[in-house]
Order: sequence, then C-alpha cells, then structure tokens
Amino acid sequence: MAWKAFGALVAALAVLASALPVDAQGPIRLGASLSLTGTYAKLGNYQHEGYKLCLKQVNDKGGLLGRKVELVVYDDQSTPATGVRLYEKLITEDKVDAVIGPYSSPITEAVANVTEKYQKVMVTPLAATTSIFKKGRKYIFMVISPAEVYLEGLIDQAAKRGLKTVAIVNEDTLFSKAAASGAAELARKKGMQVVFQEAYPKGNTDFSGLLTKLRAANPDVVAAATYFDDAVALTRQMRELNVNPRMFGVTVGGDLPEFYDLLKQNAEYIYGATQWEPTLPYPGNQEFFEAYRKEFGREPVYHSAAGYAGCLIWTEAVKKAGSLDSDRVREQLLKLETRTAFGDYKVDQDGFQVAHKMVTFQWQDGKKVTVWPEELAHAKARFPTPPWNQR
Amino acid sequence: MTITPTMLGQVVVSGVLAGSLYAMVALGLALIFGVMRVINIAHGPLLMLGAYTTFFLWAGLGLNPFLTVPLAMIVLFVIGALLQRTLVFRVVDAPELSSLLLTFGISIAIVNLAQLAFTSDLRAVEYITGAWVLGGLAFSKSRVIAFLFAAGVTALAFLVLQRTRLGKAIRATSQSREVAMVCGIDVGRIHLLTFGLASALAAAGGSLLAVIVAIQPEMGQVWTFKSFLVIVLGGAGNYPGALLGGLLLGLVEQLAALVLTTQLSEVVAYVLLVAVLLVRPTGLLGGRQT
Amino acid sequence: MTRKLLPALVVAAVALALYPAYGTGYGIRAMLQIFMWVALAGSWNLISGLTGYVSFGHVAFFGTGAYTGAILIATHGWAWPPAALAGGVAAGLLALVIGWPCLRLKGPYFAIAMLGLNEVLRALVSYFEGLTGGGNGLSLPTLYASVQIYYAMGALAAAVVAATSLIVTSRFGLRLMTIREDEVAAEAMGIDTFRHKLLAFLLSAIGPGIAGALTARDQGYIEPLSVFPLAITVTMIVMALFGGKGTVWGPVLGAVVLFVAQEIVWARYPYVHPLLFGAIIVAVVLAMPRGVLGLLQVMYRLPRTI
Repeated sequence: MAWKAFGALVAALAVLASALPVDAQGPIRLGASLSLTGTYAKLGNYQHEGYKLCLKQVNDKGGLLGRKVELVVYDDQSTPATGVRLYEKLITEDKVDAVIGPYSSPITEAVANVTEKYQKVMVTPLAATTSIFKKGRKYIFMVISPAEVYLEGLIDQAAKRGLKTVAIVNEDTLFSKAAASGAAELARKKGMQVVFQEAYPKGNTDFSGLLTKLRAANPDVVAAATYFDDAVALTRQMRELNVNPRMFGVTVGGDLPEFYDLLKQNAEYIYGATQWEPTLPYPGNQEFFEAYRKEFGREPVYHSAAGYAGCLIWTEAVKKAGSLDSDRVREQLLKLETRTAFGDYKVDQDGFQVAHKMVTFQWQDGKKVTVWPEELAHAKARFPTPPWNQR
Repeated sequence: MTITPTMLGQVVVSGVLAGSLYAMVALGLALIFGVMRVINIAHGPLLMLGAYTTFFLWAGLGLNPFLTVPLAMIVLFVIGALLQRTLVFRVVDAPELSSLLLTFGISIAIVNLAQLAFTSDLRAVEYITGAWVLGGLAFSKSRVIAFLFAAGVTALAFLVLQRTRLGKAIRATSQSREVAMVCGIDVGRIHLLTFGLASALAAAGGSLLAVIVAIQPEMGQVWTFKSFLVIVLGGAGNYPGALLGGLLLGLVEQLAALVLTTQLSEVVAYVLLVAVLLVRPTGLLGGRQT
Repeated sequence: MTRKLLPALVVAAVALALYPAYGTGYGIRAMLQIFMWVALAGSWNLISGLTGYVSFGHVAFFGTGAYTGAILIATHGWAWPPAALAGGVAAGLLALVIGWPCLRLKGPYFAIAMLGLNEVLRALVSYFEGLTGGGNGLSLPTLYASVQIYYAMGALAAAVVAATSLIVTSRFGLRLMTIREDEVAAEAMGIDTFRHKLLAFLLSAIGPGIAGALTARDQGYIEPLSVFPLAITVTMIVMALFGGKGTVWGPVLGAVVLFVAQEIVWARYPYVHPLLFGAIIVAVVLAMPRGVLGLLQVMYRLPRTI
C-alpha cells in the first residue's frame, strides 16, 4: 500500500536526519525569508542585497568565529502565512544556526511567534512598529526608528514656523497607522490642531472624496503616512484638486528615486522621511555606498542600509558573545551601543530601538536635501510651498 | 464635519468625470454579455493592457497620450478577437460555469504575464497635470479631457450599434441568436467582432486612465467588478442603461467617500448591488432578465 | 467503491495521526496546510462543483472565520476549539445573507456578487477597528498548539470529504447535480432549486470558516490583507478544478498535488507559478472538465461517485 511505503519513507528519513553528524567546521548558516516577490518585492530585494553585502564583507575579513557565514534565503511572497512556514522550515528542517528578520512589520509580527517558540535571536532590521516589541518577546531586536516618529521632522518644523493646523491621512495598515497616530500625538503636544484625519484602504487609487474634505478643512500642513503607490497617487490628485497646504510630507516611498521620476516637478517641495541617506556623516557610510554600488550596480536605499546594518549588528554581538548561543547573543545585543553606516544602535530591555535617528528631507531641484534635524541638515527647507501652478 | 455646497459640487464633478469612464468600459462588458451570455472576467485585465499600450507608445515613441487612444483600441481589438477565436468561442454554448471559469483563468494569466513582461513597478504618464478652478470647484485637466474622449468613444459606439449593419446584426444577435441566424447573420463573425469591440472599449478606458492614475499590472481586476455593477444598475441587456449605471456608480462612490469614509465607499457600492439584485433584478431602467 | 477504499483510508488516517510524533515543526505545518487546502477546495466543490454556481469569493468565508475566531480568542478569552466552531457558524450566517438575494438569480449574478465580496469584507474589517484592530491586525496570545491544530484541521478535511461523499450519493446531491445540468428542468421536476442552492452554499461556507479560525489561531496574528486575498480563492478553485470538480476525491488530489508542487518546485520560480495557475484553469476547462480524476475514471472505468 502506498501509504505504508510513505510512512516507512518518512520514518527512514527521520532516522537518517537525526543520525547525520553535525559538521562543526562547516559554514555558519544564517536563515531568512524575504519578500522577493509580491507587494513588498521592491523593498525586500534591497534588504536582501544589504544582507548579501554585509556577509560578503564579513567573509572577506575571515568570517565569524573562524567560520564562513552563508545566507539561506526563501521568498515569502510578501505574505505572513508563508513567512511563518518558511521560518519554521529554516529552523526545524534546514537547522540553520541563526535567523535574521524578514521585510515589513506584519510579516515580522507573525514570524516572531515562531522564532520565540524556538528561542532564536532575530535582529529585525525592517520592522518599525512599536507594538511588535512590546509584547514581552525576549529574542527580537529592532534596528530602525519606530513608525511613530516618521513624521516628527515635518511636524517639528511646522511648529517652529508657527503653523497651527495639520491634516493627517494614512493607509490603513500596521505601519502607516502607527506613523499617523504618532504624528497626531506629536502635533497636539506642540500646540497644533489636527483638523482632519482619515485612513484609506491599501491599494486605493481614488482620493478625490478624501481630498475634497481635506481641502475644506484648509490645513497648513498635510502629513501623509504612506507607502509608495499611494504617495504618488495622493500627490497627483492633490494637484488635480488644487489642494495647496504650506507644507506637505509623506513617509515611505517619498525617498525612492522613482518618486521623482514619476512625478517630475510635482515632487518639488515635498517633504519625506527616511531612516538613512548616503550623505549622512556616519562611520563607514561612504564606503558602504561605494561598495554597494559596485556590487549591485545601483544605489542603495535605506532598506539596503538597514539590512546591511542589522546584519553587522548581529555579527558584532556574536563576536562579543563568542558563540551562537541564543541567550549569550541576546545578552550582548541588549548591552551593545554602536554606530554603523546606518546610524546609532541601542535598545531597551524589550529590544526596542531608542538611539537611531530619522531625518527629514525635501525634494529640491530633483534632489533629496536633508533639512532636519538641524545638526544633520545640509540646507534650509524651502518654505512655504507655493501653489501647484507656480512650481 | 459639515458638508458645504462647494464640497457637494466637487463630488458631483468628480463623480461625473469618473462615471463617464465606468459607462464606457461597462458598455464593453454589456455587449459581450448581451451577445454571448458570457461574463468576461478578463475585461478588467484587458483594460490594463490598454493602459500599458498607451504608456509604451508615450514613453517609447513620444506620442501624445490622448492620440494613442485609437491605437490602443486597435491593438486590443485584435487581442480580443484572438482570444475569442482561440479560446472563448469554445465555451459560448457551454454552461455558465465553463465561460466564467475560462475567462477567470485568462484573466489570471494576463495579469501575471503582464507582471513578468512589465514588472510590477508603477508607471505613470506625466502629461497634463493640474486643474482649472471655476467658482471654487477644481476641474482636473486630464480628467476633463478623458471625460470628453470617453463621451466621444461611447457616442461612436452607440452610433455603430444603432446605424450600421454591423450594429444591427449585433443587436439582433443579442435579442435572439436563432432568429439572427435564420436572417442570414454569421453569428460566429458577430461574436468575434463583438469581443473585439468590447476589448477596444476596455482599452480606451485603460488608455485614458493611464493619463489619470499610475498604472501597474493589477490595476484592472477591480474594473471587472465595477463594470458588472454598472450593468446590473442599468439593467442587463439594456445598452443605454450602462450609461446611466456608470454615472450613478461614479456619483455614489464619490458621495460615499465624502459623507462616510474612503474605506466605506467600496462597501456602499456593494450594498447597492445586492439591494438592486434583491429589489429590482432587471436594473433601474429595466432589461431582460436572463 | 468507497468500501474498497476503506482499508487504504484507515492506513492513511493512522499514518497521518502518528505523523506529529516524528515530523519536524515544518513538516507538521506543511501537512496542516495540505489539510487546509483539502478543506477549502472540497468546500468550494460543494457549491461550485455540484450546483455549477461559481463562487469567486470563497476566501470571504475563510476571512470571516479567521476574524470571528481571533476576536473570540483575543478579546473574549475563548478556548480555540469553540472559537473555531464559532468561525464556521459566522461564515454560514454570511452565506445565508449573501445567498438569499443572489441565489434567486441565475449564475452570473451570483458569481460577480461573490467576486467583490472579499474586498467589501476587508473594508468592513478595516473600518470597525474597535472590534477588529483594523489595519493593525489582531494579535492572539501566544500559544504553541501546532500539533493540536494539526489534528483539528485534519479532522476538518476528513469531515469535508466525508460530507461530500454522503451528499454525492444522496437524493440531495442528485438534485444539486440536476440543477447544475439544467436548472429549468430541475424546477419543472418540482425541485425547490433556491432552497437546495442555499443549503449547498451554507454547507460550503462552514468548512472555510472553521479553517480560517484554525489558521488564525495557528499563526497568532492576522490582518485584513492576509486573510482576504484573492489568491486564496484562486488556489482553491485551481485545486478543485485540477483534481476534478463535482467528484469526492478530486479536490483532495488537486490540493495534495498542487501544494506539493508549489512547495517543492514552484517556490524556485516565484513569478511563473500564478501564471501557471491561470493556464491550468484554461486548460482544464477546455480539455478535461472533470479534471485529473475524471480522466482516471474514464481510463480505469471507475465509478463516478468517488
């Protein structure tokens, strides 16, 4: 009977797997599932390249604990369910020595349940949602600044210029919601009034109803917690409906070169938030930028840099721990304070990032110019934003 | 938030501008349904192909995007006719299950082929942006021009349907295939031309959309559903009903986004569909129930 | 025929019941997924394979079950088994609400009404964020119960197959198939087609509802995008069609073969695999409407009731 044969086969395989000797001299295998296809494909691929560059450099310098490091990557198709299964596969079937984070907050949120179950340390370079790290999980570590502070630069500058009213719109997903609520709270704290706030579904293309209401509220500032597609659509339709705030800023997506390619002069004056810029004076940043361009033939974005830094931070902690043991690496990651090409790293007892800084830029003559915070700014922001027909 | 007359006016403007596209695209779906009793699930993806045709003609050859509308219609007429000739004709007389599933499969294949060929990167035709402002109402330049084109194409389609021999043959076939055959109409040829014409209407929609919104391979799927909604509102088999249905859907969506939220506007459109099916399945203007 | 299969079924059931004792974490999760797809494809088959009414929105029931289960577990402290059953009940109620207006009409209306349903539910779930967490999703308290859920999902898959087997050989099933072949004739024969269709639809919604709730429990985190994707509907349709719609074992065959192929082969060619799904649908509709099992039935003269 086929089923009997199947059962025997499975049993035989199980015996075989447990009998295989573990080769201590083989490479260290670092596992991850990344969004190589699907909604997050573009950004997931940048992260993948960051990991690859980091490990290449580590291996060129003689590896980690005297062993080479090898990356085992699967594609989670941008879905949490697949991610969960793949981390389970990495840990229980491939028996990787360590794991590192996937792309995006929702996938990290789902996957963290698996890595916690097997007590595997996971540095998650591209999860920016605070709640993931505030559930009593022990083994995950945040690298980038939380979503809540993405719009801080925009709101802070607006408040300093004496602007009074702000409208906040956001895509209704984990990350964008957090960015929007962070912005709203900050605005109120700085004495500004939130005159309009509304969420729109992911994949939305028609913003006219929302913008009609927004225009009627006549805000000084429009703060939009976006991904890429909606940032582009929102900008185009603001122009079509002649919505003219004195400052307009977006979150993710505004920093990609494609944002300007698609919008051309309509992108001028728009503020964006980014975790990282190649021009920031961090140690090794210039070298990272050059090496990345040489390796992959394109310029890195912050997702690349975050992936790169997350991987470096993990190797740093492993080196200090002198072992791959989860608890010892965890101890080091909690203690570690460092500055990489990506900026500062330091976490609290929950693994929540407390040192890394966001920067705010503005599109000026086709270039992203860092305008906030003041100590990192390259130029002054162009203020106020002129009406659409005068750009 | 209080709703001012200006806001309402803006909603009417946006609704009518969007509704004209709904009406034109839905007319295509209505034709196929009327003539062949086939719901073409791939209608929206064909619209997406029209949008890409315009994008590539604009980006590659530097053509004026509005001038590419007839070109995109021709390209998609051919693609549509080919689909009918090779695949769809086999299921015209089969139970609905077959034609629904077949066009569903075609739709998935088209979308994923587009993803392979064009990648899922956003593309945009940056041509005419900005708005004319009249009495506090903003008239988006690109949408107004798209509206004029849609009105023109739709009028042309009706002219063909009402005045030409082909149009009469199409209407005759949709009323009764047997009688049409007896009258010497080559029904197979009519099916082919109808599918081509319907795909061309979808292409015109995609072509005009390319100037208004950013395009990507998955942009089309929602249009299959919206087009069907328009048909149900207007009454299946009632071609002028598609015009009314289109404008109505445009207005309802915009109004819902204004009074409720953007998220709920989809829900309102759906509730409208279910309500019409429940109360007046022949559509608001009445049509033939199938 | 089912009698003859019985020994094989018993062996299979025993092997699967023992599997968690020697399977890896991943193996258990993979098997769990196969059970889930068997339940989903089998449920879709109940309405679409038997009555010919195509449901393009069956993921709506999966998502409804997932949210019902997750809310009951996360905010009302229910244990997961009753929460999973509640997920099935909620999905059944939804089927009645949608089926009532749409099944009175003929096929296309129903198909299209289902086509938009998942988007609408997604919007509703996002809107009522007080209850559902909206776009933030819902996180369930941590619980490592993969093995228990493996058994629950396995039982669900078995129940769906058993129900299909009973229905296909019953008068009820014969009436459903009469509706599929010729609805007008069925009505003329005195069959209350509306009630039959509605009952079939109700039955077909319960399985996905329970499967959704179990999946939510197993993953520990759900969000509107992850439980209402069109891709789940597409996959269950492809599996049922490929294996053989309207048959008892077709959806099982389709689920097993396509899931294994997806996991082993297609994972390496990520872009090609959805394209292949489209091609499979087209090919099956045109060339082998009763799927692989239909071909086997013809080749080996197997009865049509397996």
